[in-house]
Amino acid sequence: MAKSDKPKLSAKEIKERAESHPMAVPFLWLGTAKVQRNFIFVPLFGMILFSVLGYVYPLHHPAPWDTFGFSYTVIGFVSYSFVVLAAWPLFKILSRPENYYGEDCDDDAKSDKKGDQ
Amino acid sequence: MIDFLTSFSPAFILIAAGVISAFMPSSRVRKVLLIASPALALVLINVIFYGQDANAFLGGKVSFAGIELTTMRIDILSIIWGYIFCLAGVLNGIFGLHEKCKITDTSALIYTGAGIGAVFAGDLITLFMFWELLALSSVFIVWRGGPKSYPAGMRYLAMHILSGVLLLAGLIIYGRATGGYAFNNIGIDAPGGKLMLLAFGIKAGFPLLHNWIQDAYPRSSVTGTVILSVFTTKLAIYALMRGFAGTEILIYIGAVMTVFPVFFAVLENDLRKVLSYSLNNQLGFMVCGIGIGSQLALNGVAAHVVVDILFKGLLFMSMGAVLHRVGTTKASELGGLFRSMPYTTLFCLVGAAAISAVPFFGGFVSKSMIIAAVFEEHHWVVFLMLLFASAGVLEHSGIKVPYFAFFAHDSGKRVKEAPWNMLAAMGIAAFLCIYLAMPGPFGGMQYLYGLLPSEVAGAAAFNPYTGDHMVFQMQIIMAAMFAFTLLKRIGLYPPERRAQILDSDWVYRRLGLSLLQWGSAMWTRLGAVITYALRGMFGNISKRLYQVFSPAGAFSQDAPSGISAVLIAGMLAAALFIVYFL
Repeated sequence: MAKSDKPKLSAKEIKERAESHPMAVPFLWLGTAKVQRNFIFVPLFGMILFSVLGYVYPLHHPAPWDTFGFSYTVIGFVSYSFVVLAAWPLFKILSRPENYYGEDCDDDAKSDKKGDQ
Repeated sequence: MIDFLTSFSPAFILIAAGVISAFMPSSRVRKVLLIASPALALVLINVIFYGQDANAFLGGKVSFAGIELTTMRIDILSIIWGYIFCLAGVLNGIFGLHEKCKITDTSALIYTGAGIGAVFAGDLITLFMFWELLALSSVFIVWRGGPKSYPAGMRYLAMHILSGVLLLAGLIIYGRATGGYAFNNIGIDAPGGKLMLLAFGIKAGFPLLHNWIQDAYPRSSVTGTVILSVFTTKLAIYALMRGFAGTEILIYIGAVMTVFPVFFAVLENDLRKVLSYSLNNQLGFMVCGIGIGSQLALNGVAAHVVVDILFKGLLFMSMGAVLHRVGTTKASELGGLFRSMPYTTLFCLVGAAAISAVPFFGGFVSKSMIIAAVFEEHHWVVFLMLLFASAGVLEHSGIKVPYFAFFAHDSGKRVKEAPWNMLAAMGIAAFLCIYLAMPGPFGGMQYLYGLLPSEVAGAAAFNPYTGDHMVFQMQIIMAAMFAFTLLKRIGLYPPERRAQILDSDWVYRRLGLSLLQWGSAMWTRLGAVITYALRGMFGNISKRLYQVFSPAGAFSQDAPSGISAVLIAGMLAAALFIVYFL
């Protein structure tokens, strides 16, 4: 086999492309481990950018705590982290087996493909 | 013809279509009714309202038990709900085109009609009638979720009947005290006002009264949940806005409503249940705005109702499409679906951006109005709560739903893209989510503003697209996204696990039920003990009587005539005493 005829894609990639919707094929890179691992830099960059812009566009009507340009960055980060971290103890306190109420679990296909009733 | 059609509430067109649908064997005809009747109602609302010069059109008057009812009041407030309910009816009809179910079609039409009828109710009695019809028609949609949804449907019905009873009691007290039943500003201090506030609060999902939403909505069918998400809660918001605007306690109730669902949503594994908590959270913003009661706040509430119906409907539709294709919406079993369902993924991301109030998406304009109104009133604690809730919205609806369904780890599920009708409904909703937030001469924000109550000058004055406002909004969004990626990377983001998360409905689903079962068992035992004791007591009495009166008893034996005379004299004395002195 000539060098130029070598397949550029791995068998796994070919299989993934074949199984995917044609419109999704150009975006399959979104599912790669590398992209998912490095996605953190997108919001990090955005956060830094908008924190700096907070000094360029200071609030016209600041709240009492708006003493620095990136106060809402702090509020967003702390609020989000608090919600997510609170889930650990809350799950321990509030979680029960799925059939706790004796009514089975919530979903599992409610098919709409039934005939006229 | 037009004169005839405009002589009664457009709601009756949908209800009549629902009745016809119940007897219509052809699914195609039912689908035509499902889409055409809300579209016709939309046209009629326009014809009626803009065919006259006044700010309010009062019509459809009927006399009931000596009371004149106004079944059609189309004014600057009710017309907003009328428009969006009709539009939602059309979108729901398109979304459910593939479903061949007479019960869903019929219930959806009557439910939509009841919602429209209630917002156009000019008096409390008409409101009550449509209020009850809304509950009765929607419970069949809940039950379409299958046998597992029956208990949830019963609880749903119980809560809504309770709401109706409270409304009825409140309106009777109010009507007797004021001499009229007109549905205008009621106020919490009016006679019966608290009862009606509670009735509206049940349907609006006030804290501790909210469980029916998370209980019933995720258990309905694919189409059913989308239909249910529109009308009941938004009607309650309308009723609160009409009757209790500026009631201070609503500010705090609304603030709590925005915050508490955030914690439950992050724990939930079922993404439709996550969206149900998210619904509660968005209702909180609206209730808070109603409590503030300023022009800007009320404008914000009206705008938020419009865009919330679109983006929340869009998110429920996207999860409905996932449930339709994959068979589950458990986050723990999904992931990587963007490979199979790219269009659904795109529409879900638009809905997520809209609910997260990303600039140039629906929620940004409306939520900004409400938050700005809270800011203007210097409710700093409430303002901070709303900011906290905004970060929470981003967590559950902005990130969790699209991430765990369409991205995250690849679940290996390869399914078909959603049916064309689902994509069409999602596409229209997604387009409107963007279009209505676009400023400028070609954007739809002007039309959204045009819908808002006209006497309110605040809408025109409020411009969300200022540099400082967009920067502060993006600071929150980017910081929350960074927190998500960071917590995920260092392993502090909790994994999605299958579990039943306890909420305050534990009080009646577990504690109440246990108490009832205990009481029933105790009653059974007590009954046995009482029966045994009574049997023993009556046994002794009959034994004694037998000993005295039986042929072998004491009275049957020969006795001296003197003793008999004394006994008879004693009995006569007792009889005389009773007759004269008692």
